[in-house]
Amino acid sequence: MTIRARWWAIIGAGLAVVIAGTCGLLLTRHGTGGLRPAPAASVATQPAFPAPTAPIVAAAPTGQPPPVARPTALTIPEIGVKTRLITLGLTAQGTVQVPPTTSVAGWYTRSPRPGAVGPAIILGHIDSYQGPGVFYRLVVLRPGDPIYVRRSDGSTVEFRVTGVQSYLKDHFPTQAVYGPTPDAELRLITCGGAFDSATGHYLSNIVVYATEIG
Amino acid sequence: MKHLGNIRRAALLLAISVLLLAGSAATAAMATARSGAAASGAAASGTAWIRLAHLSPDTPAVDVYLYSFGNPDAKVVLHHVGYGDVSGYLPVPGGEYSVAMRAAGAPSTSPPVLSSSARVSPGSAYTVLAVGLRSGLRLRIFHDDLTTPTGQALVRVVQASMKHPQVTVSWGGMTIASRLRFASVTSYQAVAPGVETAAVTVGTTEVRSTVALAAGSIHTLIVLDGAKGLEVANLEDADGSTQLPTGGAQTGFGGTAPHGPGSPAPWLEVIAFGSVLALGGSLGLRCSRRRTTPRHALPSRA
Repeated sequence: MTIRARWWAIIGAGLAVVIAGTCGLLLTRHGTGGLRPAPAASVATQPAFPAPTAPIVAAAPTGQPPPVARPTALTIPEIGVKTRLITLGLTAQGTVQVPPTTSVAGWYTRSPRPGAVGPAIILGHIDSYQGPGVFYRLVVLRPGDPIYVRRSDGSTVEFRVTGVQSYLKDHFPTQAVYGPTPDAELRLITCGGAFDSATGHYLSNIVVYATEIG
Repeated sequence: MKHLGNIRRAALLLAISVLLLAGSAATAAMATARSGAAASGAAASGTAWIRLAHLSPDTPAVDVYLYSFGNPDAKVVLHHVGYGDVSGYLPVPGGEYSVAMRAAGAPSTSPPVLSSSARVSPGSAYTVLAVGLRSGLRLRIFHDDLTTPTGQALVRVVQASMKHPQVTVSWGGMTIASRLRFASVTSYQAVAPGVETAAVTVGTTEVRSTVALAAGSIHTLIVLDGAKGLEVANLEDADGSTQLPTGGAQTGFGGTAPHGPGSPAPWLEVIAFGSVLALGGSLGLRCSRRRTTPRHALPSRA
């Protein structure tokens, strides 16, 4: 082997290393993608004009609406959710409690009961450390999708999705989500957006807005 | 020889273009790593709510029509609405509406007894009251509140008793309407939540009832002429959580989170090492060529 052939070998090896490095760089630029389905377009629906007649409620002297039973289970056929509902309160820090396991959802007991006037709040985890949680596919819900809540008296109340929104937790619209509404509504809350591995939390919340029908 | 020189030149050119390619790939990689901001939007439901009430004691039952200006075919009809009747909130798209009242059973083509129009905004709630005596009946449209001060309830009073033209209403000892005249409406007042006695006072008589006002709820109390005297109807205009949590909810542990691309630094080091190797090789080749050329020339000179 001549000296020049050795130099050529070195050049070839150098080029091979550069090509390998470039390929490696390009192939690792996209990350691992995660399991997450693509988010649904966040659209608020324009409701259809109401039916020709509407119920008249006599302004009865007592005026108190009939009590609504406690929620016990949640079904969302579109994304295969079928879970019992636990009860959730507030933490010592004043934030909303979340279910201790990722396989069940919970009703925030300081929100109206599902089917009563106002927004009932139900929370569930998007995932655990290992894999999907009960609200893993919440973000794919679309306006019009049905949601059923079963109550302790055996009755079931049906809601329809009106919109899906993503909010940075630092700018969570507490009034819009928890504040008063004139009709019976439902909010489903989970996590979404980017995950901050430094704090171990997602940076955003996904909120599904739904309204009682019937 | 010349042919071989061309090959060498081509090889050097290839080396340079590979280096340039690697450089631009690295730049592009850095750029994509930096982008990827999350967007968030405000929830804006397109729904508005309208509620209708008949509060004129001497006006017989009416049919109430709600027309949409943008859509003449769309209308809501509430049949046989009598004194003291209040509809639930009707969800409608935001826009311009007109409300018309006809005597119960009158043809929908007949001229209305009373009509009024209003623009309603999405996300807002409205109450349309038919108030006053039959001779001076009028429609009043109120924009209903949908937010309460933290930890408090809102309450307002509508005076619809013809038999008692002036009433005073208190709740839990706090006066919420003082000498309120017939066909008048107070504005909403914030009160500490609780279950208290609401008292309607006319002269020396007092009518009491128990009224619960929860934190985060909004109510309208209507004073009516009942079959057995004064009555108070308690309408729940809106309700929310009794306590608002701070911030968002920690509802995930990251097990399914997409993991971002790792640092490009190791690959850039590999590329740099390869480049140094290739450049070093080509320099060495050039030097060795210069050194060996005379030796090649010797035989031809001899």
